[in-house]
Amino acid sequence: MTKMVIGLSSCSIDKLTGVGVMLSGAAADDMDVEVFVLVNAARAFLKNNPAEEFMSDTCLTVAEFKSACEKVSTPSWLQFFEMTKEMTNIKINICSLAGKLAGGEKKEDFIDLVDDFCGIGEYLDSAKEADIHISV
Amino acid sequence: MTNEELLALTGAKVVDARGTACPGPLLEAKKAIGTINTGDIMEVMSADEGTKRDIPKWAEKKGHEYLGTVEESGFFRIYLKKG
Repeated sequence: MTKMVIGLSSCSIDKLTGVGVMLSGAAADDMDVEVFVLVNAARAFLKNNPAEEFMSDTCLTVAEFKSACEKVSTPSWLQFFEMTKEMTNIKINICSLAGKLAGGEKKEDFIDLVDDFCGIGEYLDSAKEADIHISV
Repeated sequence: MTNEELLALTGAKVVDARGTACPGPLLEAKKAIGTINTGDIMEVMSADEGTKRDIPKWAEKKGHEYLGTVEESGFFRIYLKKG
């Protein structure tokens, strides 16, 4: 089975949505996927996340991006993650440093999509073994 | 197969994914094909140009037979046989 590893370092909604689209392709192909949530990206997975949503690419505002997605019935990044996790084997690991930077030190501090904490060594080992490695 | 032959097929499953953009139709196709039997025909309706290329390639990878695509006004019908 094909294995894809994604190193996700951004909590911006445009990049999260992009990863959601990639997960959809992986789900259609029944790939095994591991997402390693690094640095700022952990904020997006916090339970009761108080952070304001933002875009990494300033050509659109958050409202404009969401409106464009709604017009073509594209799910939110979170819906993409939830839907694809039901369709294929997707494991979401929070880098322990990223967790601490976001203010979450326990698994319970994060939404249920999160499977576990990880160290950087695990990410690099997984990336080395993967057929596809994407860094976002 | 000709357009006439494709349009004459009776799909065991018809997926209307015209309201969604890529990757919606592909995900709908993936979900739906699990509900039909080997040898059954599935028709996917989509208005997304990327899907027109994605679904035939996906079908080939997953062992299904891509039968053809019929262009309609503003959308297209993709026909697959479950492998």
